[in-house]
Amino acid sequence: MILYSNKPFTKEDSLNALNPKIREWFESKYKELSPPQLFSFKLIKEEKNILITAPTGSGKTFSAFMAILSYLFDLAENNKLEDKVYCIYISPLRALNNDVYRNLSEPLNEIYSKYNIENKIRVGIRTGDTPASERQKQNAKPPHILVTTPESLAIILNTPRFIEHLKNVRYVVVDEIHELANNKRGVHLSLSLERLNDLIGHDFIRIGLGATLNPLEEAARFLVGYDEKGSERDCIIVDATWDKKMEFITISPVKDIVNETDEKIEESIYKILDSIIKSNRTTLIFTNTRSGTERVVYNLKRKYNYKDEELAAHHGSLSREVRLGVEEQLKLGKLKCVVSSTSLELGIDIGSIDNVVQIGSPKSITRAIQRIGRSGHSFNAIAKGEIIVINRDDLVECTVMLDRAKKRFLDSFNVPKNPLDVLAQHIVGMALNKKWKIDEALNVIRRAYPYHNLDKKDFISVIAYLSGMYVGLESRRVYGKIWYDEAKGEFGRRGKYTRVIYYLNLGTIPDEVSIDVYTLDKKWIGDIEEEFLERLKPGDVFVLGGKLYRFERAVGMKCFVTKAEAQTPTIPPWFSEQLPLTYELALEIGKFREEFANAVKKDLEEANKKALISMIRFNKFSIGKNAKEILDKMPINEDAKLAIFNYFIEQLLYAKEIPNDHYILIERTRDLENKRNYIIFHSLYGRRVNDALSRIFAIAFGDIFQTDVGIIINDNGFVLVFDPVVDIEDEDIKEIIDNITKVDVSRLIKENIKRTEMMKRRFRYCAARGFMILKNYKGAKISVNKQQINAQALLKTTELISEDFPIIKETYREILEDVMDLSNAKKILHNIRDKIISYKIIHTDLPSPFAHVLITFGEADIVMMKDRRKRLRELHEMVMKKIKEKIKD
Amino acid sequence: MRLNDDVELGDGSPIIYIRSLSLIACADLHLGYEGVLAKEGVFLPKYNLSFIENEIKKAIERYKPKQILIDGDIKNEFSKVYVEEFNEFMDFMKFLNYYKVKVILVKGNHDNFIDRLKEPFGFEMYKQEHLIKNYLFFHGEELPKSKKGNFLIMGHIHPAIAIYNAITKEKLRCFLYGRFNGKEILILPALSYYAEGVEVNNLANNLNEISPIFNIIDFRELEAYCLGEDETLYFGKIKDLVF
Repeated sequence: MILYSNKPFTKEDSLNALNPKIREWFESKYKELSPPQLFSFKLIKEEKNILITAPTGSGKTFSAFMAILSYLFDLAENNKLEDKVYCIYISPLRALNNDVYRNLSEPLNEIYSKYNIENKIRVGIRTGDTPASERQKQNAKPPHILVTTPESLAIILNTPRFIEHLKNVRYVVVDEIHELANNKRGVHLSLSLERLNDLIGHDFIRIGLGATLNPLEEAARFLVGYDEKGSERDCIIVDATWDKKMEFITISPVKDIVNETDEKIEESIYKILDSIIKSNRTTLIFTNTRSGTERVVYNLKRKYNYKDEELAAHHGSLSREVRLGVEEQLKLGKLKCVVSSTSLELGIDIGSIDNVVQIGSPKSITRAIQRIGRSGHSFNAIAKGEIIVINRDDLVECTVMLDRAKKRFLDSFNVPKNPLDVLAQHIVGMALNKKWKIDEALNVIRRAYPYHNLDKKDFISVIAYLSGMYVGLESRRVYGKIWYDEAKGEFGRRGKYTRVIYYLNLGTIPDEVSIDVYTLDKKWIGDIEEEFLERLKPGDVFVLGGKLYRFERAVGMKCFVTKAEAQTPTIPPWFSEQLPLTYELALEIGKFREEFANAVKKDLEEANKKALISMIRFNKFSIGKNAKEILDKMPINEDAKLAIFNYFIEQLLYAKEIPNDHYILIERTRDLENKRNYIIFHSLYGRRVNDALSRIFAIAFGDIFQTDVGIIINDNGFVLVFDPVVDIEDEDIKEIIDNITKVDVSRLIKENIKRTEMMKRRFRYCAARGFMILKNYKGAKISVNKQQINAQALLKTTELISEDFPIIKETYREILEDVMDLSNAKKILHNIRDKIISYKIIHTDLPSPFAHVLITFGEADIVMMKDRRKRLRELHEMVMKKIKEKIKD
Repeated sequence: MRLNDDVELGDGSPIIYIRSLSLIACADLHLGYEGVLAKEGVFLPKYNLSFIENEIKKAIERYKPKQILIDGDIKNEFSKVYVEEFNEFMDFMKFLNYYKVKVILVKGNHDNFIDRLKEPFGFEMYKQEHLIKNYLFFHGEELPKSKKGNFLIMGHIHPAIAIYNAITKEKLRCFLYGRFNGKEILILPALSYYAEGVEVNNLANNLNEISPIFNIIDFRELEAYCLGEDETLYFGKIKDLVF
């Protein structure tokens, strides 16, 4: 059962749960117990599984480890400590492992310097960075506390010499659980834990640590899984998220973010950043992308003369040495400011940060809280944070985000269910351990929460795939990684390379194909995906790092561009650097839109006609009384209030309509050059919902009008892009909406998703995870570039086998469940059918203000025409027409 | 579709038929592709051979030719011989023997082991080029040595045309046909299921590096016949297809 614990134990009870020496050390260091510690010392002593969520500075690590060290000290003092692993600590970040190692060494060394204890407790790190010699030493004499990553744990489970040492494992600590529970990396870990349990033949105490996430019950289930009999293991949740005080505000960098130039906005952002940095001791700045991090550092140094010793970048692309150096400087309090993408979101010990600045929307209330929670080094300190918005949609979004954060409203996450690619990796790993009966293996797998409802058919199909049953007998020697005896219902390892394949290819983070983008004078700008490059032709304009560039040429893995002056890209990007806005927050923004639009309308009605006309003429508005009443309650600065007011009033004056959570605006318009027609759906439901809705509509339109349909998507809506020759009436749109709300859209989208670009990319990821494309084979690393070319061929033929082929099936699942939010998309369609959500079609000459960010920065895809037979004729006609025009000229 | 009175281009198929020779011809089969990739850690289902056999079967049933000519690159790797390629080659030869057509192989850059299989399967084999009456078949990685033959047929470059519209880009495999120095030339698209094709209308691609033939003919003057699902259509000259 999953239970919340709301009643802390007393300080004395908690301390009594510790070994006397540990207690003595703890009390010499800390006067008080932090809120989570008042729960954890005793609960862990009582052998309870426990999930603790709390912001930075809450002594989370010690809340778990004090009790564990106590147990080990008890053993040591009674001469019962063996050369075995008693505790495994797992975190998603190597840097965190180093921290934990240091944090544990401190009490141990200090206690050992005071007391002469013969039986010393050893802590050891084992990650990809650990040298082979060190690993060998561990194989001979294991650490009592093993500090590792999910990937290294999976390798340990297949290291025969080490497995012996795991038999006594009593504790497993999973740190940063909020970074694991919502993705395949975490799913991978959940299976490893069940395999560990099976290998050592007994349960262990599970301790989860992390920043907040919602729902916590889901995270707890993910942590503990199910026992042999299939009942949920017990877990106690300790939620200390709100025990730290937080102050935060949304800042608009300029008064009029709608009409101000990009340069001016940028200049203002840096000015604000400079003043924040100067008025605080240490500031942590989050950007949403790595390239953004680099840009901010570069510009701050250039504009405000920060020196390298004062200001640094920290992100995943930087070398380990550089990152460690930055962390060290931070801890010593030497840096004034550090800029990071996501790498510092996790709980690396970075000393005291007094202020967190987020540039651009963090896209989720929960993430905003997690990030702002990084500031204020102790529990008693106040966490302080600012979000500086970069465009008008960001502004509205962050305003609502922080308002809801204040009200402790959190958006939710999902654990991916039954991913077959991750399963394939573990089946290979399990086969390496021993020969399995099918049902026995399935029983172990179903104990992991993400696989609790795994269909046996799917399980068997993965086994069949891994045994190479999709090729002829004579090829299985090469294709098969396991053998499978159908009659006996058994499987096991096959071939001498399988172990090596497992070691070198496990993991869930896909390789990105990146093409470096340079200006003609060889200045690096960023990178794009190979698939995207494949679509570019000279002259195309696209967005990179928030700026527009014209494609000139490509040479190998390099792409050359020039700065473009055009207002909109001719080709929108194929992928988004942005995280998707959560559905819950999207709905809240929709509600705000309605409330605020009503206020603005009222202000317009009440306004003096003459004043209004002059306001419109001079483009200078002052906030009306009704609008002001709402804005004054929001955690935003004065410029932001005016900017929001301006944004809404311009949309109202231009389009007369403000869409909201139960009112979708459908805007028919075209691009500036009149080359493409747009149908814009102002559907603010978050990108994952719009990902699904846009493709559903594109499929329907494409089939009826026999055409390719381009798509542009973001959190606030989506655009269907048509060649102007396609003639669509408003009535057609209504009819299509009418039909779509009545059909089985899951089937529609599943049957047609292969016509999209997204399928190709996602298939490559799944094929690599499922060991169908190896990144690393027989000592040779296969370039991502080659992986990708091969993936396209692979998809082409794999589709011929069967729709149920596990890697194809998983690609569909990943797209429909992880990438898209089909279930909420369906909810929206049902609500349209039931008239809970209404819509209106309007026509504009140019896109209305609410569509500008979408069209400029949205992510693109294409749904290809269904009937390939007609394709050649259509292209032929088009080409002949073009040639005729050419000849006429 | 008919190219002229004697030569027919496959409808949606990269195989041609020459009436006066009672011969069908194709190029670039790359047998063993999947097997070779599997050795590199990419486990493609096997499809290429059955795809090729099906295409050839259709052509044989339609034209009832006496002979088939393969204009180079019947197998995939050029430096090594893999057992996977060997096996597929054997299967393919058995397949052709079943139809009792005379088999002529023009060796391309990838075909270095097939000499020793000549005897058991009884096929004719030539290095790089072979003249039959007026038709000079050559693979295309080298210029033909023979000055004879007024109609040149080659493979090797896997030609395709990229077509852009407002929304998408489509890549179509194509035949290329043209005249130079009083001769005619026909370039065959690859028959391999996996050959996507080189975009000949994309000026960023340096075709001269792919085949020396483009040193003596102007590729922009070549005419493209693009392959659809079950038909082949004339798309005009490459120079008019540069968008």
